[in-house]
Amino acid sequence: MKSSLSEVKVDRRKKQFKHIRRLSSIFALPAILIQLIFGWFPILTAFIIAFQKFYIFRTPPFVGLDNFKFFLSHNPLTSVVFRNTLYYTVLSLGLVFLIPIFVAIFLLEMKKSIIRIMMILWFIPVASMAGIIIWKWFYNPQYGLFNGILVSLGFPSLRWLDDPRLAMFCLVLPGLIMYGPGLIYIATLQSIPEELYEAAELEGVDFWGKIWYISLPRMRPIMAMMLILAVIGNLQVFTQPYVMTGGGPNFATYTVVMYVFDLAFREMAFGKATALAIILFFIIMTLVIIQRKYFKENIDV
Amino acid sequence: MSLIPKVGRCHFRVRFLIGVITAFLWVGVALHLFPVWWMFSTSMKSAGEVFQFPPSLWPKEPTFVCYKLFFYLSSGGWQSVQYPLYVYLKNSFIITGGIMAIQIPTTALIAYSISKLCSPRKSRFLFLFCIGTMMIPTSIALIPSYLILRHFPFPFLNIPKIPFTNAQFPTYNFLDSYWAVILPGMYSAFNVLLFKGFFDGIPDELINAARLDGASEIGILRRIVLPLSKPVFAVVSYFSFSGAWNNFIWPLIVIKKNKLMPISVFLYQLQEWLAHHPPTGEDPTVERLVQSGIGYNGLMAMSIIESIPIFIMFIIFREQLMTGIKLRGFK
Repeated sequence: MKSSLSEVKVDRRKKQFKHIRRLSSIFALPAILIQLIFGWFPILTAFIIAFQKFYIFRTPPFVGLDNFKFFLSHNPLTSVVFRNTLYYTVLSLGLVFLIPIFVAIFLLEMKKSIIRIMMILWFIPVASMAGIIIWKWFYNPQYGLFNGILVSLGFPSLRWLDDPRLAMFCLVLPGLIMYGPGLIYIATLQSIPEELYEAAELEGVDFWGKIWYISLPRMRPIMAMMLILAVIGNLQVFTQPYVMTGGGPNFATYTVVMYVFDLAFREMAFGKATALAIILFFIIMTLVIIQRKYFKENIDV
Repeated sequence: MSLIPKVGRCHFRVRFLIGVITAFLWVGVALHLFPVWWMFSTSMKSAGEVFQFPPSLWPKEPTFVCYKLFFYLSSGGWQSVQYPLYVYLKNSFIITGGIMAIQIPTTALIAYSISKLCSPRKSRFLFLFCIGTMMIPTSIALIPSYLILRHFPFPFLNIPKIPFTNAQFPTYNFLDSYWAVILPGMYSAFNVLLFKGFFDGIPDELINAARLDGASEIGILRRIVLPLSKPVFAVVSYFSFSGAWNNFIWPLIVIKKNKLMPISVFLYQLQEWLAHHPPTGEDPTVERLVQSGIGYNGLMAMSIIESIPIFIMFIIFREQLMTGIKLRGFK
């Protein structure tokens, strides 16, 4: 009697298990379909298009490595766009990446009521296009605010975005000046157990020591993730230079993705554009792999 | 938080430190608010005052005349200013709404499945399948996605024939429609990451206990998991709203019809046109448009209007944003 009861139980459990497994597939199905069609399929297709010469109304023939050769031999623009993109990435990571982390750490030191006020004021969001437009207006050499300030203080006016040496820095400057806390960092900081700080205090660790030995190591997985996303995003920068400078002056802010965009949708050279995107892809993948190897996500390292 | 020592708060060095940090934060807030204020003040300036040099901090005679562009537009000479602003705003809302309506439920379901339902091996594989595209630069998919949308679902012109017949598979051209923006935006790897991080924090025992009590899986999802995960839905809504709302490069590529443009693309085109047509008084068309408010003051008014919906989203979800993010890196 007893054994049969447990058999029934095991049987029911098995059935339930099967049910759960089947349900897991059903739940996952819609997202899998979308991710296959609009996520992975285009990426795989890119590796075919890159080897074709594109015609609009004709089946494109395969041309081997011609599209890649176009960039790698005697194309002065290639080195320009890659240099610009790397320059932008280094500038923007170096100047901007750490700011939200420290602002988040500092913000949580404030009183609760002040945090609330600051959060609301800080997150009065400016839509990204609106933000770019207002900064372009600040930089305007004739009527802009920055030259207005410089002139009324008695300095000579600058050409900002029209100055090849200054232009790239001008694109990064908004991120540097308009510093704010990252929501994700704030959330991570709040999940650090309070006892760690109390224990550190008993041992006489000071303010910066606590940041260095507790806060930053605890945030390492998130920082590693955000760093990867920032590298990927910055190497593909498009909107800021496209709207603010259009790639000028004299190609000083012309980036890889802008070149891809122009090749594809101005010159209709889809094959060449995809080949360039694939070169960028390999560069980014190399960086991501290096980073995942050397910047461990594990807290306890 | 307790970075600052509890004992010895009155000590000069500690008080100095607190003062410096507070000042640093308030300066940040001020710098952040300044562009917003500048937009606002420029939007209320008259056409002449916008080009005054050096610029004035507050308009001499504030007017709200630019904000009427929202409803009404005097027929301009430029083809991109045919429609009043609310048309573009409506487009943005349709696109953003469509993306959110599909993106949030599907990614929530797959994340729940990965976190709580799948076997470990399947869960690992599905997770990589889901967030793998996050590590791959999206620019590589720009052109293929464009081609796929042009003759959906085939990327190439040589469309295969239906077996045993002479007819080609039917294709559909999604370009120049809302769907062209909505379809590729229906999935977001970051959402899966956010959802999974949160669901991982819900203890398995809770769900197993409910199963022992005879609750169905759908019932568990509806009665236990969903009520617990309000914060993460708020976070995802906020991120996916601002992501879709700020989307620029993709609508720029696939939507050429003026009537269907989202507001970000429209603003770009308007400012580009203004930059190339300085109001020197020579071109009567430019002159007329500037007088009717489509100058930099109008541009700023539109920028403010563009920013308002994101702000409203933040205000609605403000309370939950702090508790809903439980990320642990790419895990």
